[in-house]
Order: sequence, then C-alpha cells, then structure tokens
Amino acid sequence: MDNIYDLIIIGGGPAGLSAAIYGGRAKLKTLVINKGTIGGLVDTTREIVNYPGYIQVSGPDLMKDFKKHAEHFNVEFLKEEVISVDFSQEEKIIKTKKGKEFSAKAVIIACGSEPRILNIPGEKTLRGSGVAYCATCDAEFFEGEDVVVVGSGDQAIEEGMYITKFARKVTVIILHDEGILDCNKVSAERAFNNEKMEFIWNSTIEAVLGEENVEGVKIKNLKTGSSSELTCQGVFFFVGMIPSTHFLKDSGLEMDQRGYIPVNEGMETNLEGIYAVGDNRVKYLRQVVSAAGDGATAAVAAERFIEELNYFNSKILQNDNKILLLFFNVFMNESVEFSTLLEKLISENGDEYKIFKVDMATKKSLAEKYAIEKVPSVVVLDKGKEIKRLDCSMNVEKLKSQLF
Amino acid sequence: MSLQQLNSNRFEEIIYDNCEPCLVIFSKKDCHVCKEVVPMLEELQPQYEGKFGFYYVDVEEDKNLFQRFSLKGVPQILFFNEGEYQGKVAGKVEEETIEEKIAEVLGA
Repeated sequence: MDNIYDLIIIGGGPAGLSAAIYGGRAKLKTLVINKGTIGGLVDTTREIVNYPGYIQVSGPDLMKDFKKHAEHFNVEFLKEEVISVDFSQEEKIIKTKKGKEFSAKAVIIACGSEPRILNIPGEKTLRGSGVAYCATCDAEFFEGEDVVVVGSGDQAIEEGMYITKFARKVTVIILHDEGILDCNKVSAERAFNNEKMEFIWNSTIEAVLGEENVEGVKIKNLKTGSSSELTCQGVFFFVGMIPSTHFLKDSGLEMDQRGYIPVNEGMETNLEGIYAVGDNRVKYLRQVVSAAGDGATAAVAAERFIEELNYFNSKILQNDNKILLLFFNVFMNESVEFSTLLEKLISENGDEYKIFKVDMATKKSLAEKYAIEKVPSVVVLDKGKEIKRLDCSMNVEKLKSQLF
Repeated sequence: MSLQQLNSNRFEEIIYDNCEPCLVIFSKKDCHVCKEVVPMLEELQPQYEGKFGFYYVDVEEDKNLFQRFSLKGVPQILFFNEGEYQGKVAGKVEEETIEEKIAEVLGA
C-alpha cells in the first residue's frame, strides 16, 4: 500500500526537516506531514544570524534549503493537518483532516508551537481589526498610528522595533520592574535607544477596547492595582508560544501541564517508536540549531528502533525453531555465566531450540515488550508466541528439565 | 486552482456591477497565516463553481482597496452579495467557518 511508511514526521520546521534528512539518508521510507508552510515558526522569522554556516539568512530561505536537502534524499512531503493518532499498536496510525490514513513503524512529533492567546476581552473579536500576532504580516497597516506591544521576549522587542518603521509610536507593556526585559541584550539596548519606543513597566493588559476597530487598551499596574486606558489603533500580542500538541491529548503520550513532551536523550517518549523534538519537547534552548540537533537524534534513534523491529519480525517471530530469547547484561558475571551454560546445554541437545541473545543495554524496546525486569531472563517462543519463561538456574539438571 | 486576482477595476466590476455573491481574500506574499488560508480557499473553490465567487487581492499591489475597507491586517476574507458588504473573518480561519459564512450569505 502507498500509505505505509517506515518513518512519519509530523511537522516541517527545522526539527522535522532535519529528522527527514537523516531518515531519508538512512534509506527509510519517510513522509513529512506539514499543515502550513514549510519551515514552521522559522518561516515567520525575517532574519537569522546564529545558524552555523549562515552569517545572515532569512527564515524562509534557510527552510527552503532544509527542504531541498530532504528532497535530495527522496523524502516525501504532504500538506495536510493531522487530527488524530493511534499509537497503541506496533503499526502507528495517523489520520488527517481530509480523511487520509497513514501507518508507520516510527513517528517523530515535530509540530512546533503556536502563539499563546491571553483570552482577554476584545482579543478575539477584534482580531484583524487591530489585534495582530505577526509584525511582518500586519505592521504596515498601522502607518502613522499608535501601537501597543504586549510582551518583552526576543520576539516582542524585535517585532516591536520593526513596527516602529511604520507606526508613529510603539508602547510596550511589560510585567517586570523598570529596565528589565526578557529579550537578548543587543535587542534591549536597541529598543531603549529607539525614539519611537515607549515602555510601561509592572503592567499587564486587561482588555482590548473598541467596537468595530481597536480604539485602546486597558492596562493594569501590578504594583498599585490601578487600571488605566491608553488610546491606540493596534495591539500586537507576543506573550509566548504553546506547543501544538493538543491533537495528541488522548494518545497515551506523556505531556507536562503546558503540553510539552518529556523525552530522554534519544528523543524517545514514553511510547515505543514515538519521538518528540524541537519545540514539542521539554528543553533548555529553543533555537533552529538545537531543533536541528533534536531532529537528527530522533531520526537515528528511530532508524535503530526500526532495524531492531524488522530483525525481530523476520528472524525471530517467523522462525521454525523454538526460540529462547535470552536477556542478559554483558557487564554482569552472573549473566555471562548463565549464557555460557545455556548455550552449552542447547548445543548438546539437537536443534530443537535456537538461542537469541538480547543485550539489555542496546535492545531496550524488546526488554520492555516482554516486561523483563531482571537479568538473566529467558522467554521461550514457539512460532513467535511465548510459551513459557525459564527459571534461570545455574543447576544444569534443573535447567534441562524445563526444556527437554 | 489558484484564486482569480482582482485589481481595483475588476473589483468594482465584480462586486458592484455584476453584484456577484462572492468572497475576497485580502492577502500578501510574506504572511505565513495567508499561506495557510489561501490554499484552503483554493481547495474549497470548486465546490462553489457557478454559485459563489472566490477572489484574491494582494494588499501590497492594491493599497487603496484595503484602505477603503479600513482593514487592519491580513489575511481577511470579506463577503459580498448584491453589491453589499456582508461581513468579514480575520486570521487563521477553518474551512467550516467559511462554509457557514457562505451559506449565511447565500441564504440571506
């Protein structure tokens, strides 16, 4: 079938595209499902000056290069929105809004984040009538007007400065004490020196005012508790991002309160064969370069997982012999001694059984599949089905009696 | 199929002379939300062939059009019928919202 893949990546930002490059290069049949434009949040970034190898590049241009690179390794792309998933089986199922269904052995969650909405009065109703979230898109509509910016992170301050190219005045509403911005130092300095920028400290926005169009904002001073109104024609919200992981709510995937997915250093989630990268995972630094690193890690982890899965399915589950799955740890003497004993016993007694050794350190997923808690452990399989587990005794006769 | 682009003259003809029931998306090239909404309209368009028009205005090419409707941002989708403005939706809208709005305009 056409809809069966080795690896499906949900999201086409820097993390997803990097994963795609690694997946494609590892000759995995790889599909990227992306709902908007390729590049994700980076596509909205005018200027990137800290991605290695590019002294200065626009977000869309950098992402075009990423995509071209992935296509070079025969990665497929589909523009669709994923609305639900079923990760409970070995074949992971992904459904799109248009009713298409795909399956994959491994899935990488790389669907990024979206602007946080404050849900204050007027924010929703006046969207497009003065309430905005994207300076590149909308700044020019406020030529010669007064604009309020909410937030003090990199995005708020840098976009705020961009808006001053058009607006008469940009007033930034900031939660912190005077002089404290959350953005990088270079941008903060530039903002303080920008004659069109003004700052209102220790304050938050309570409501956007206006009937047809934005006419002002209601500002609350957090120190005094008093409210005041400020006349303006536009309000830009840059109050952070939330991960776009809500469609995974019922998937069994572990998430924190804010919707970020915790992963280990292999980008593995709590579900086997499912990985989370970039802005979807709990992490320290959210940049293009770290997103790309996540993508590479996840794709390599997924490749190893798929290889293991394929090997197991073809060599073990479809083997005509009875199989002894021996779980062991090479660094534990007891494990090694038992392994030697078992191998000797089996080789001396015809060819009824075949031993497959499973190193707990590298084949974690198999250990989990059979719920192995201690080493050594032996699971006996007949035509892929578990028929019993051995008591791993060092007594040869005791061991023999369980098998023959 | 891509949406038919309107300049000021064509806009006059279609909206006010022909009084066609239609929607017009005001968009611009480097707006990422527009890049999500425009393809959605392109896919929806064939279903309304002959019943409801789908048009496109580039606000950078035709500034006077968005000024006339005092729009504050893109994308915005304006609805018209019988030469009259029937309302608008802004930002990232879902297909269902558009379908409902079209039904409302055609039913009115």
